[in-house]
Amino acid sequence: MTQSLVKTTMDTENELEQDLIKSLSSLPSLPSEAIVGSNFIETSFFSALGFSLQERIPGFNTGRGRDKVDYALRHNSEEDNFLYTGKSPHLLVEIKGRDVDLTFNSRSYHSTVVQLKRYLLSTKCKSAKWGIITNSKHIQLFKKHNKTILPATPCIEISPDNIYKITNHIKNKINNTPKALTVAVYNNKGGVGKTTSVINLAGVLTRQKKKVLVIDFDPNQGDLSNSLNIFEGEYTLYNCLRDKRNLISLKQVTRPYIQHFKGGFTLSFDVIPVDKQLANLDEDQIRKEFSFRSLRSKIESLKSEYDYILIDVPPNWRFFSISAVYASDVVLIPTKHNNIRSLQNAAIAIQKYIPEIQEARQEKTDGFELGAVALPIFFNGEKISTAARKNTEQAIQEIIKKAKVENGFNLAPYFGSYHNLRRDNSIFELPNSAYIANCNFRKIPAVYKYKVVYDYYSQLAKEYFLQ
Amino acid sequence: MSNLSDVGNLMFIDLEIIEPGTIVDTSEYLINATAKELSNTDGRNWIPLIVKEIAEYRYQIIGNYFIYAVAEAAGLDKVWCIIADSSEETAKITKMLAGEVIPRTNLSNASNSEIKAALEYLIAQPNSALKGVKIPVATNRIDEAPRKYWQDLKPITKLKCGITAGKKLKALEQVFYLTPQPMPDDIRDAKILTTLTTAELKKLAKKRKLSGYSKFKKAKLVNLLSDKTE
Repeated sequence: MTQSLVKTTMDTENELEQDLIKSLSSLPSLPSEAIVGSNFIETSFFSALGFSLQERIPGFNTGRGRDKVDYALRHNSEEDNFLYTGKSPHLLVEIKGRDVDLTFNSRSYHSTVVQLKRYLLSTKCKSAKWGIITNSKHIQLFKKHNKTILPATPCIEISPDNIYKITNHIKNKINNTPKALTVAVYNNKGGVGKTTSVINLAGVLTRQKKKVLVIDFDPNQGDLSNSLNIFEGEYTLYNCLRDKRNLISLKQVTRPYIQHFKGGFTLSFDVIPVDKQLANLDEDQIRKEFSFRSLRSKIESLKSEYDYILIDVPPNWRFFSISAVYASDVVLIPTKHNNIRSLQNAAIAIQKYIPEIQEARQEKTDGFELGAVALPIFFNGEKISTAARKNTEQAIQEIIKKAKVENGFNLAPYFGSYHNLRRDNSIFELPNSAYIANCNFRKIPAVYKYKVVYDYYSQLAKEYFLQ
Repeated sequence: MSNLSDVGNLMFIDLEIIEPGTIVDTSEYLINATAKELSNTDGRNWIPLIVKEIAEYRYQIIGNYFIYAVAEAAGLDKVWCIIADSSEETAKITKMLAGEVIPRTNLSNASNSEIKAALEYLIAQPNSALKGVKIPVATNRIDEAPRKYWQDLKPITKLKCGITAGKKLKALEQVFYLTPQPMPDDIRDAKILTTLTTAELKKLAKKRKLSGYSKFKKAKLVNLLSDKTE
């Protein structure tokens, strides 16, 4: 009996594959949006993704003015039928005709992505975790984690040969939404406040009832562990990363940071403290013992446990930073407006290092996973005069221009506001506060000590992460 | 619209049959200097005045009052106008589109970024009463306060974010309004309870059929009402 069951599922799988290929190949050469929708997406793509007719709503009203996304989808539960209630969509799909070019980085590609982002952030789509754009020639999956929207696949060119594989990959992704967003806090330049950002973001996110893990991945400094007064326990990061048979899980290396407040109220997040043993190894030794992929695969098992995994990354581009960025979904880049090097280094990370990581990631995943993406930079608190601000703005314009001329790389979106989709030249600014530095000696995140600092970092968290 | 209506049409109308309606305060300099420039051209106002018909051959301005003031100063006899319908709604949205009236945001359910944008707008105004208010602090405290229950904007003054009663709070009324929810009787969040007055707290205690609270001070009342083991 089991055998026949297996056979039937295989048969239907086969049928779905045939349907996909057939509907795709029988499209006219330049199908309009309506035809892509009716002859390909509705006929075969949605069924292959596993959504029945009762689980799809065309022309879904997003709750923002008269905006309507082409399709909203969600699997039904016993009590709730999506087609009837129209509540909590899981996936949004925006379709274009083939006359709209969705090649990565084309003009219409960008406007379509902006459109999808707007839909994903609308009031009635808060629950949506995934978004797809396609014109039947290209397709790209986006993931939404709370407020953060990031590409989950590269923009893939569709052919009858790969459509079934692509669809299966997407299906797999949207049916296994990870709970955690992994954030590497990185800048090749030191002294821009990476560790402080990690600690205080962890503090704020915890206070907002998120479950947070912080990883001190800067063994040469170990500032984070020092600031929180947390040191390794029985199991060390060194042993965990070295262990290839999964005998030691990353979970066993975590230590809790607990803060008690007046009135018996406590907050706590987990920390993976620095491992001094790692600091004593030189780059060659490390490369012999570890793969830069180890951290990523170890983190995988924790992704269902935490809402946020924040990694403090050293200011260089060697083993630890490469591993951390490879392991993360997004890279948050603090800079200082009075420090031109920190801006130039951010630009290098965005146009050189992160694409390298993406290439490595795509190589390992048949081109289905994009790898880490950079979030727009932010200015980390420092008093600044109007004249100095002008200089900074000019320097940024030059950096953007240089990237465009020399590499054809558009840096502008990374030097602007994250979610203000219309205006993109206002970089988020975390105000300066003397309190923040004070707290380094007190072994407590400044956000738990000073209300003003809490407000500042809370605004930072709301800029990038919290809806 | 039918053939018998002018709504939507662009018409060349005599200035003297147009009533100004509500006068929008504009600088004399801008009016006169623009009038001078307009006189140097063929005197056509390419941006039309927006009017509604109030009687036969009588119109009233509902938007772009500036154009009217300039036309008058330039001594024009006729101006180009678009005829809008006579509803209140149209008048309201037209004034907003013309930038003559500031649209307001519902603070009961506004998002963090909406609050931030509204405060940034107010502070950027010339002679803003809010100069010196720290936007990140004010935004965050307002965002995280129990504002869905607020009956008015006064609780903002208790957030210690530099916005005090008087001019500053008045400035906020330009951009915010509220559609408050009734506070549920079984609310136990101490943060929300402290925003109530002692009398309101006592009323709440009575509703919950508690006793022995009549001489309690506010702090004790909050304690009593937020106690989960009661």
